[in-house]
Amino acid sequence: MSTKDFALFGAPPAFAESLHCGQRYFPSWQRYRESFRGIFERQYYTEYGPLNQQLEQKLQQFLGVKHAICVTNETVGMMMLAGALGLKGKVILPAFAHIGAAQSLGWAGLEPVFCDADPDTHQIDIDQVAGLIDKDVSAIMGAHLWGGACDTKALAKLAEARGVQLYFDAAHGFGCAVDGIKIGNFGRAEVLSFHQDNILNASEGGCICTNDDELAARLRTMRSSAGAGKPVEVTKTVNGRMSEAQCAIALLNLEDFAQNRQNNQDLCKIYEAQLAAIPGLQLVRHGEVSVSNHQNVVCRVDESEFGISRDRLVALLKAENVHARRCFHPVLHRSIPYAQELPQYQSRLPIADSLAVSCIQLPIGALVSKQNVERICEILKRAHLEAPEILVTAVS
Amino acid sequence: MAIKSNIEELAIFGGARMFATPKPTSNLVRPDFDKFLDYSRTFFDRHQYTDDGPLVKQLEQRLAAFHQTKFCIAFCSGFWALALAIKALAIEGRTEIVMPSFTYRRMADIAAWTRLKPHFCDVEETTLANSAATVRPCINKNTALILGVHPIVNFCDIDGLVELAGEKNIPLLFDSVESVYESSAGRKIGSFGAAEIFSLGASKLVNGFEGGYITTNDAQLAQRLSLMRNFGLDVQGDVAVPGGLNARLNEIHAAMALAGLDDLEDQVARNRERYLTYQRLLAPLKGIRLYEFDESHHPGYKNIVIEVLDDWPLSRADTVSILNAEMILARAYYTPPLHRKRMAYPHVPVELPVTDRLAERFILPPCGHLVSNEDIADIVGLMSFISSNAASIKARLQQQGAQQQ
Repeated sequence: MSTKDFALFGAPPAFAESLHCGQRYFPSWQRYRESFRGIFERQYYTEYGPLNQQLEQKLQQFLGVKHAICVTNETVGMMMLAGALGLKGKVILPAFAHIGAAQSLGWAGLEPVFCDADPDTHQIDIDQVAGLIDKDVSAIMGAHLWGGACDTKALAKLAEARGVQLYFDAAHGFGCAVDGIKIGNFGRAEVLSFHQDNILNASEGGCICTNDDELAARLRTMRSSAGAGKPVEVTKTVNGRMSEAQCAIALLNLEDFAQNRQNNQDLCKIYEAQLAAIPGLQLVRHGEVSVSNHQNVVCRVDESEFGISRDRLVALLKAENVHARRCFHPVLHRSIPYAQELPQYQSRLPIADSLAVSCIQLPIGALVSKQNVERICEILKRAHLEAPEILVTAVS
Repeated sequence: MAIKSNIEELAIFGGARMFATPKPTSNLVRPDFDKFLDYSRTFFDRHQYTDDGPLVKQLEQRLAAFHQTKFCIAFCSGFWALALAIKALAIEGRTEIVMPSFTYRRMADIAAWTRLKPHFCDVEETTLANSAATVRPCINKNTALILGVHPIVNFCDIDGLVELAGEKNIPLLFDSVESVYESSAGRKIGSFGAAEIFSLGASKLVNGFEGGYITTNDAQLAQRLSLMRNFGLDVQGDVAVPGGLNARLNEIHAAMALAGLDDLEDQVARNRERYLTYQRLLAPLKGIRLYEFDESHHPGYKNIVIEVLDDWPLSRADTVSILNAEMILARAYYTPPLHRKRMAYPHVPVELPVTDRLAERFILPPCGHLVSNEDIADIVGLMSFISSNAASIKARLQQQGAQQQ
């Protein structure tokens, strides 16, 4: 075995077809066709149609939440929520999070306050949050990452004690639970994503979950969907609708949730077993959850132990047609426009900085087989063993 | 379907509804199902359901060719397409956007999301749209952008607005949601101003379930907008431009829009048929005027606009209520106008006498895929019945109103 066996150095790639990190669960062609035949017969395409109503009911049941309000996508949901909560001034959020979380604040006229992350779970650093609350802060936005969750209890306690609102970017969190309570029930509201990368795929889509009737009524009015309850006073509306087409896909994938989650879990187990034997690769622990959807496999690359850097590993895998991802890189406080507009955070967020340069997300989901995972892990093992040579070999 | 024989048979007075299913003003055009499935195969086989997929690219190419523009960028809706275009084009540091008040009910909200103050301008009596003459008085040192909005029938003052924007050096954006199919002096709508916005909502000429797109000949603007709809992220995954969000169009919606484009010529022929039916049947009806398309623009004939003239015996509000009760979902054309609505965000206070007057005069009667020519005959027949029995209807409405109080 030598570096010549790596595609990066001229060997044929390990996989003929690309492997991606996204979940990409999708119904069979037959179920897709039948579901859409129904839409074409009903000729009801959007605006809180029958599938939208059915999906919201089923989501409410599944999540055990009073209101699930389906939206175009998660970011639009986060923008609507920031508006509907009547937030002012500043909002605290983790710097190690998706750029959309920060952008949703910008659209709502709010300033982000970046908080560091927990090095083991990657969730928002609870200890730092308290120190960031000042008179201008109106809310804390937690983000449940990687099929894990923030410390919801500690955040709720803190938010209550300091008189600020609490809500969550729950893009990765569909089907996860904390002490048996499903994500969707925490804080004032939580926003789930139904993007193709997440376990409940609607191509695009999302839903805002809340147990607050008045907040739900405002959100339904803001979304602009005829027939979704009595309109109430809101500052401004949006087109936040999720179409019947998106709802059809989400409904079918919801039927398959248990088996899709099981598939993720099976794949995760292989990763866990295999990666345990590779020095310098540490799988992220799912913080706080009693049930995970196992939709993300994220590990930290310790360059000194593993032998090569995260970026080198990403390049090496890419050549094998394994599209592993850097996670939230660059981190929010180093992205446009925050790096320029809020320079005070450059030196304050060491954990987020370190996660952004050391974490890698590996493929898992509908298009990844157990054999694929075994093979990926083999490549990772070899990369570790051949690291000294990889470092000195020129890319072909 | 029997037209009513006496006024007690009107649904508003407790009679049976004229239609069992609603007759909407939404286009709700249904493309061929097998074509939709054929397009769907592409994303299904590639397992790519969004994120700038193959069908979105194909749709953008088709639409750019259709509008004869260099670029087309697709979005999750016309709403967010417009918001991003405003953000991309507005002159930095300035605070106002000039737009008509006599327009789409969420237009001012879009401006508010971009943190610009709506400065409403009046419209022309003759076109129901804004023009250089109505926009000019609203331009000041704070003007960041001019929004020209095409009305449902015919155009706004394209040439005048282009000239004014050039003279004042202010970017001009066209909301062309209602003018997808049209040409002005042989040139397709789509390439005027800095960019033009269209919708792929189910009520529009091309039904993509939901969706929108922007056409432009400006390469830099196209590049910026295509980044902004995906959080501003470039191919490396770095944020290249600020102010983005997720405004991507998904592949299923793109499949639907592509199937709709295949049917477009036939649809326009069907729409024209409905328009001509209205034209023929409304001609003898005193007090109602069909707002006519200028056929030299090659219109899409999607919606019908009628004017309630002074000699129509009932108020517009009563007329619409009577129709609505029969499941004829006719709508008042832009009531209230935007400047009359309560706004919880900053805006420039204005007086708009023409808009106020016009806002009392127009009705959109049912149209689109779910409305047949027979339905139109029944609808016009009912309006004729209303006209002939106006005095007793008015009295009965008054009596009903008094009882309710």
